[in-house]
Amino acid sequence: MNRKFLSATVVAAALGGIAVPVQADISIMYPEWIASLVEPGIASFEAATGQTVTSIMLPGEGYDRRIAVDLAAGTAADVAVVDSFMVAELASAGYLAPLNDPLAGWDQFQYYMPGLLDVVSYSGSVFALPTDTDVRMLWYDRSLFEAAGIAMPWTPQTWDDVLATAQILKDSGVENAFILPAGTKQGEGATMQGFYMALLGADTPEDDRNRLRNWAEEKWIGDSPALRATVSLYHEVYNVRQLTSASINYATDIGAAVREALANDEVGIIASGSWEWVCLFDCSGVNVPSVEERNAMLGWTPWPGSGAEGAPATTNISGGWAIGVNAAASDPDMAVSLLTTIFDYENFAAWTLTNGRMAVRTDISESAPYLENAFLAEATKLAATTTGRDTYPGYQVVSALVQEMTAAILDGVSPEDALAEYRAALVDEFSEENVIVYE
Amino acid sequence: MTADKRAWVSPVLAKSLPVLLLVAVPAILFVGILLYFTAWALLFSFTDLELVGRKATEWSFVGLENYERLFSRRGFLESLWTTVTFTFFSAIVGQSLLGFTLAVALRSYRGPLKTAIEVSLMLGWLLPDIVAAFLWSATTSRSGLINQLLILPLGMEPVNFINDYPLTVVIIANIWKGTAWSYLLYSAALDNVPREVVEAAKVDGANGWQRVTRVILPIIRPHIGTNMLFITIWTFSYFPLIFALTGGGPGSQTEVLSIFLYKQSFGIGKLGYGSAISVAMLVIVGMLSLLYLRLLREPK
Repeated sequence: MNRKFLSATVVAAALGGIAVPVQADISIMYPEWIASLVEPGIASFEAATGQTVTSIMLPGEGYDRRIAVDLAAGTAADVAVVDSFMVAELASAGYLAPLNDPLAGWDQFQYYMPGLLDVVSYSGSVFALPTDTDVRMLWYDRSLFEAAGIAMPWTPQTWDDVLATAQILKDSGVENAFILPAGTKQGEGATMQGFYMALLGADTPEDDRNRLRNWAEEKWIGDSPALRATVSLYHEVYNVRQLTSASINYATDIGAAVREALANDEVGIIASGSWEWVCLFDCSGVNVPSVEERNAMLGWTPWPGSGAEGAPATTNISGGWAIGVNAAASDPDMAVSLLTTIFDYENFAAWTLTNGRMAVRTDISESAPYLENAFLAEATKLAATTTGRDTYPGYQVVSALVQEMTAAILDGVSPEDALAEYRAALVDEFSEENVIVYE
Repeated sequence: MTADKRAWVSPVLAKSLPVLLLVAVPAILFVGILLYFTAWALLFSFTDLELVGRKATEWSFVGLENYERLFSRRGFLESLWTTVTFTFFSAIVGQSLLGFTLAVALRSYRGPLKTAIEVSLMLGWLLPDIVAAFLWSATTSRSGLINQLLILPLGMEPVNFINDYPLTVVIIANIWKGTAWSYLLYSAALDNVPREVVEAAKVDGANGWQRVTRVILPIIRPHIGTNMLFITIWTFSYFPLIFALTGGGPGSQTEVLSIFLYKQSFGIGKLGYGSAISVAMLVIVGMLSLLYLRLLREPK
């Protein structure tokens, strides 16, 4: 009976296969750098259920685009790792499955921090589970600072301090004195690690003057003193002072190029995030030098504000990644089960600590090893005053336009023209009545 | 039915209706799918369809707006110029001329040097684009091969070629990648030039240059036309090597139309605008093809 049923299924699947691709197994898509979280989870899941998981590991670069295209085309895996900023947008298009009901019976769901679940929610439902959150800072190479005679710990108070230090490094022969992420190739990275961090410190937070969106008026900001100051900072770094080679933002493998440059003492200061505590050495968390060695090589300091009146003294913005379930998953229960296996305490806590990630769950953040980690303790202090992205639907387009604007600066377009192009593109996208301008 | 009514099909196929039908199926499928996608692209080019978000499902028609933006916004025309430069120097000048020169030079030569050159040409052609991109990135970077072998030993400051001359690097990389095709095609064409004709020209007192321009070139004219047609179309819409090597940057210095199209469609997510770009590319390539097809025709 069973065998008959099976062969009938096989025949049906073979016939159906002509029209619809049949996926017998459960599948998962994830970027390379998160393999050390996902893969032990897959192994436990396979051992527990006897199922085979098809794992699709992709390079980190361009992953956002790939996952959006695959979900839109209906060819995405059953379970997908996504950048948390995309969750609301993907959910609004109906690509992800709501998880509140399936996760109600899971005893570890209660530990997720509500604020972080908000980021991955859309109209009241959770659509993915966060893997980590982060803070952003300026990393610097201690040996280069010492050689250039710059005092450490380095505590810049304004943008001018950062530029002056970078100028000293450049004059001492450092190829990439200050890497301020720009351009289109690294996608969201350029918006978050570069543009946003500067923008938030460019003007007072009142009336959302230092943001991309005015939330009270419900409009995107097409031009403002903060945007002008931020674009001018890019102009200063890339065109006026030429503090770094523009091509590092377009390297064949940007992550590898930055690590290589760092190892060769060719990077003075780099604007990036808390994950670099491990990622600047090896993002998979293996072959990472000891904490002492890393501390001897690299230092970090919070991003200072511009120094303008009313601007914050330091700035921060947090993001993070998440794992969601495809709304078109062939077996939703199985997909949720894979999800909870990956996030099982043992696996998740070990990954969080080894990789110096900021915890998203109280059972991990309140555990002894986490509390004793000096780096995480310092980074968590920055998290106290952090902000989030303007993740209103349409943000993804706005962020891509921001990247285009920084690319225009690399092309030598004047800050005024680059900003005028940005504003025109915003109007194209959202129409005149949804774009606001601060004089 | 008489045979001449079916003169447009091969006489072998015309003899059997089932065979004819069998071969017609893939042809119809092929053309059908092509037309289907082209029709969609044409339709979407008049809409504001987007990849994600609200406009992914609730798109609307916007008339000629996308086409207007090709000309009113910075991007398309600059990208078109980059593409023309890239195609002209890497395909028409680089691959075709170098391929022809090599084919003529190595024509009557037999020996290990010829084998070595042919192998290295083929290697460039056979290597996957992504591997080639890494190779060229490692060759032209500040700590790369050219700097280590040439610039530094000469006592000069290292040059970051991919930062300072990105378009030139990409053009040279593509010449290296694609010359094998032109070389092979021209070699085969030259083998078809009857030796007696060339010998006769020699006897008549034509020198080497005259033999090439007056005798060989006119004979292989159709091959040149075919080759130009192929490599122009390929190079005009070429994507992987440039994208992997520079991602269109720094800034948009190597942003050819295919990368511009990709960024607008999948980076920003404007599928409608992306469709308009692809339709414009189709028109341009179509016109170029017509030009070459005219060139292929025998002079009257």
